Amino acid sequence: MAKKRSSSPPILSRRDVLKIAGTTGTAVVFTELVTSGPLSSEAVRGIGAQTHPSNQAGEPHQWRMLIDLAKCIGCNYCVWACQAVNDVPDETMRWNVGFPDRTENGIDFYMTRPCMHCQEAPCVKVCPVGATWVREDGLVAMDYDRCIGCRYCEVACPYDARRFNWRTPESENALEPTWGEAEVERRPRGVVEKCTFCVHRIDRGLDQGLTPGVDREATPACVVACPVGARVFGDALDPESPVAKEIAEHTSFRLREDFGTEPKVHYVQPERKDA
Amino acid sequence: MATLRRRFAEPLTLWFALLIGLIGIGSIGGLRTLLHGLQVTGLNDRVPWGLWITHDLSAIALGAGAFIFSAAVYLFRIKRLEPMARPAVLVGFIGYTSAMLALLVDIGRPDRFWHPLVYWNVHSVLWEVTLCVVLYSAVLAMEVLPVVIENRFFDRWPDLRKAGHQLHRATPILAVVGMGLSLLHQSSLGATYGVLSGRAIWFKPSLPVMFILSAVAGGVGLTLWLTIITGKLRHVRLIPHEVQLEVSRFVGYLTLAYLYIKLWDWAATSYYSHAPGTADALSRLQATTPYTLTFWWWEIVLGLIVPAVILLYRPLRRNDRALIAGLGLLVFGVIVNRWNTTLSGLIAPPDWSPGVLGGVVTAAYSPSWVEVAVTAGIIGYAWLAFTLAVRYLRIYENPSPERG
Repeated sequence: MAKKRSSSPPILSRRDVLKIAGTTGTAVVFTELVTSGPLSSEAVRGIGAQTHPSNQAGEPHQWRMLIDLAKCIGCNYCVWACQAVNDVPDETMRWNVGFPDRTENGIDFYMTRPCMHCQEAPCVKVCPVGATWVREDGLVAMDYDRCIGCRYCEVACPYDARRFNWRTPESENALEPTWGEAEVERRPRGVVEKCTFCVHRIDRGLDQGLTPGVDREATPACVVACPVGARVFGDALDPESPVAKEIAEHTSFRLREDFGTEPKVHYVQPERKDA
Repeated sequence: MATLRRRFAEPLTLWFALLIGLIGIGSIGGLRTLLHGLQVTGLNDRVPWGLWITHDLSAIALGAGAFIFSAAVYLFRIKRLEPMARPAVLVGFIGYTSAMLALLVDIGRPDRFWHPLVYWNVHSVLWEVTLCVVLYSAVLAMEVLPVVIENRFFDRWPDLRKAGHQLHRATPILAVVGMGLSLLHQSSLGATYGVLSGRAIWFKPSLPVMFILSAVAGGVGLTLWLTIITGKLRHVRLIPHEVQLEVSRFVGYLTLAYLYIKLWDWAATSYYSHAPGTADALSRLQATTPYTLTFWWWEIVLGLIVPAVILLYRPLRRNDRALIAGLGLLVFGVIVNRWNTTLSGLIAPPDWSPGVLGGVVTAAYSPSWVEVAVTAGIIGYAWLAFTLAVRYLRIYENPSPERG
């Protein structure tokens, strides 16, 4: 057998093939280990993952918001309340943005946009350090202590909902105390932030036995600030919640559903017939 | 040797002065960034990635020659390509270290650069890229180290020399690991954009394929380009002429394959269809930016078609000057491609408002002086490292006298 081998060395010797096979095998085991084993991102996700998956009765929640564009009068109260409560002094850093817009039929309306809290959030998928994740109650949370500031989440978000701290926020927040008091810590320079659906209010409210969407203290600041009730919030799994009722009552849509992001903010058309 | 040294003394001194100047300017820029944060850049929330990401992507792509020649020489035992292995590994090492320098200033929290190694998100292509780049840089360091230890300077530590030899014996294993890591991250860098379903102009499976093809063509091309130029400056042939021609032809065919996929990428999304999102984004890019110039003329014609002709048409390939121009243009084309890819999806983001006024925002970006300075500084580092290595290490083992 050996004598029949041609004099030129083989391009890929048996040893090489074994080596490659070994490496591939190691890679497969490695992948298995990190996707489902003790090293999986779910397992190593330590700090900042304090979730409130259920209330005292042990029931799961699914927080959603509905924004009725036909009711909205464009007063910008929701924008300012958000800036005050979440301590966002800089106008360019707004988590909840508002701007005048016009439909193709020529009807003027005011568009406001918080974070969509997508169930299939592109920002969550791409984060290289797992600093952002979808909680069991559907909220897209952020860990500012883990974020490295690579801004891939900003690039991935199709709704322009994320903001990066380009500078140390130093200025006084002019919206305080007129529009509310700061309830969370200001974020440091170099990390990404975004609308949290006022998660601190929801979590604290649940601990106190309140119902987010019904009790003001447990409801996102923007919803509370709205003078015309254009923003409604609550647990979509509870048919009696304000948001579930509104979703059932109106034909609503979500922004760019074709992206497959499964957003949790519903909009009602500005040119609704029953308005 | 003495005449050689005299002839080069002056230009070389000037060259070193220029490079050290660039590194100085870059250090000032880097320091400003670390002190004041990314507000010193021209970046913003709509265009959060710019020149530094382009630099990073280009440096990694142009370092791809290392894994190709390591695999070819140490794994597939293609003896005649051996003279290319050391320069390719050197260029790769310099490319990856440049990329990591660029990344370090580009992230908002450089103090947390180690987070991806500890906090894993296996669903993120960027996590995969980061891990591969870190591991592969270690592989490249292990491949470069034995060459460094060969230097006379290390005569006084025979144990170190022995360790270097031991490390060198591991090159076949390093070649396999390096090839695996490179095949992964060179394409995942394209997937970094290709997986984003919300950005139509990026969201396509062709991006990872185009990234790896252009990386291999550009990486091998840059190694050969530097080799020919270094040889010209020393009036020697650093690698046999047949090898130069063979590698050029290989790069030529790769360029052709890349062009073919690019052609269909464009034809399928633009020419034969009117892909929603893509068509809109392209028309907005053409209306507000010099995209037609940078894509069609710089990237496709100058960066790909002209090099392909030079590399594949024999009389031109045999002409050293034409070859230098062709390979140089190819490298330029890869860099322009990384810029175009990064900026196109950011400048023309999707519209998400149900209205027609506010939803479509076309962004703009131009790098600040700090960004340009840091990039120039890192390029200065890269050239300095290459020049010093070629001068003091045995990168090219058997130079032969230049033939007419």
